[in-house]
Amino acid sequence: MDNLVLHQIRKDYGKVRAVEGVDLTFAHGELTALLGPSGCGKTTLLRMVAGLEDPTSGKISLGKRDLTRIPAHKRKFGMVFQSFALFPHLNVRENVCYALTIAGVSKPQAHERAARLLDLVQLGAFADRGIGALSGGQRQRVAIARALAQEPEVFLLDEPMSALDANLREAMQVELRLLQQRLGITTIVVTHDQREAMTMADNIVVMSNGNVEQSGPPQDIYHKPRNAFVADFIGRANFFDGVVQGGRIIAGGLALDAGAVRFLDGSAVTVAIRPEQPSLDHDMPADNRVPAEVTFIRDVGATRDIHLSTPLGPIIVEYAIGESAAAFRKGEKLDVQLPGNALYVFPAEQRRTSP
Amino acid sequence: MSSIEAPAPAGRALRVPAAAPRANMSRIALWAIVLGLCVMPFVLVIVISFGQKIEGAAWVFGFTPEHYLRFFVGASWPETTTTLYLNRLYYSIYYAVIASVIAVATAFPFTYFMTRMSRAAQSRWLVFLLATLSLSEVFIVMGWDILLSNRSGLPMLLRESGVTGWLKETGWFDVLREWGMANPRDVKFKTSVFATILTMSYLVWPYAVILLYPALSRLDQSTVEAARTMGASPWAVVRTVVLPTVRLPLIGTVFLLFVFLLGTYVSVTVFAEPAKQTLAISVYESVRGSTLNAPFGAAQSVILLITAGLCLWLGQVLVNRQGARG
Repeated sequence: MDNLVLHQIRKDYGKVRAVEGVDLTFAHGELTALLGPSGCGKTTLLRMVAGLEDPTSGKISLGKRDLTRIPAHKRKFGMVFQSFALFPHLNVRENVCYALTIAGVSKPQAHERAARLLDLVQLGAFADRGIGALSGGQRQRVAIARALAQEPEVFLLDEPMSALDANLREAMQVELRLLQQRLGITTIVVTHDQREAMTMADNIVVMSNGNVEQSGPPQDIYHKPRNAFVADFIGRANFFDGVVQGGRIIAGGLALDAGAVRFLDGSAVTVAIRPEQPSLDHDMPADNRVPAEVTFIRDVGATRDIHLSTPLGPIIVEYAIGESAAAFRKGEKLDVQLPGNALYVFPAEQRRTSP
Repeated sequence: MSSIEAPAPAGRALRVPAAAPRANMSRIALWAIVLGLCVMPFVLVIVISFGQKIEGAAWVFGFTPEHYLRFFVGASWPETTTTLYLNRLYYSIYYAVIASVIAVATAFPFTYFMTRMSRAAQSRWLVFLLATLSLSEVFIVMGWDILLSNRSGLPMLLRESGVTGWLKETGWFDVLREWGMANPRDVKFKTSVFATILTMSYLVWPYAVILLYPALSRLDQSTVEAARTMGASPWAVVRTVVLPTVRLPLIGTVFLLFVFLLGTYVSVTVFAEPAKQTLAISVYESVRGSTLNAPFGAAQSVILLITAGLCLWLGQVLVNRQGARG
């Protein structure tokens, strides 16, 4: 089975560089999410894979086939667009049959395959409906069925959930993932929603300013962010600045143990910690205790966000609400413990970008 | 829902009856203007078309179908029958259909590519096209008259550049002669169906672009890209996505231009052969020429009007059918 390989892909629009020397391998049958803030180049990269944009330099290959200069209509990668791009002059069945009609497949065969695909996306009863008579979720399913009709080797989705409301989005994420696993097609999904990426993907590629910041399985990206941008973009994180001294981080007049710190003494660093990692329990370990004052409390469903003012700067702690959960008051003074192995240390010059 | 209104103050209650007639008067005046300026001319033309012509003078009111009879079967019917004016109606429709279809067919790709240009470039083109609309038909026809004139225009250029000689050697000259586009010595455009239709198409081409522009600029480009990812070549995309998506504006534009071209006068006068002139010329001759016959001119106008109305109705039926299918 063939892997899709991008080698040193670069894309310039005049003087603006949209994608900068990207090297990626999309393993056969896996779902990869291209994740990043708006304008990071993820859609441009997807469009180059689809053949809708030509790379300025670099190579795109599927197995041994070089696809770099092959036009979109000869690649025939199924693609679902952000707006779904359904043909308004065709009904649901005709939309799904489009690629087959273009390929010269006989009408009975095309209709049979369309019926199978529509059953797959649970729209078998809607075959004769006009596109205008469908809801957002139904349109998305038609777009998926249409893109799969030509049995593509690579399935591309450009922010397919962005037009759906929150509840439907959650349901469709799961459905799409199940469908992709059932069909086993190499799939690339562009999204700026990290939750969507974490839910669906085998692998996540985090992009920023046309560069790949990190790629890997979702849990690796979350628990082992390579830099401050990834730590900030994937999930939530508290950040504070410090200086390395004797293998410890000196910040806010405190010396914190951060495990094996691979920085020279005197190096300025940025330290990140996920909100669920700090401890506020009475039986917290003795190391890395930081004095704090509660400034704000916010209930977020099953958890409670405790906003703290500390010598390191503001820190948010995600505290699980349970029967034995401690009660906190605004203005309460307490200690928060930052586990050394939960502190991510990055060079200070790495810029953080909010999503 | 019902509501209880507070009684109006006495002073205000007194004003209401005064304001109502004033509003009614304005409405009546507005309707009178609309009827007087827009409907009355048509009513007058219809009335005159049934009037009686007085030899050597003008006409008097009456109710005679003789002008309509003359149009369809000739003045000396039932002794003899002539279809001269039906023939002119035929050429009116013939020129208008072909010229409007050519204008839309050529404006469509231009407009499509224009909508793919940058915003600034689109604005420049639109301003230019709108500016060309301010040119009168007389001015445009004069330009084409010079360009296609036998002595100084394209025929001379073809002759001097040797193209005419080459056409004669290859036998194409005889074909052009059969098409009425060459005299025994030279290629000629005046007078010819070709030059008439060419000028008429040119006349309405900017209108075609401006009428197609909104539909094509609204075309969702992602549908075009989706078709490409599904194996459609550029031509297949145009055939299966772009054209069907904008078919209603396309049909509408053809019909609008057709109706506009039914009444073209200057282009036909200059470029059409005398035997292939249109009803618009005939109407003008009847009401202005030496054979002054206002009722007959009016009858021809009414027939032209009915033809345009029928065509618009047919267009509407077609559009509705297409709309229902889409």
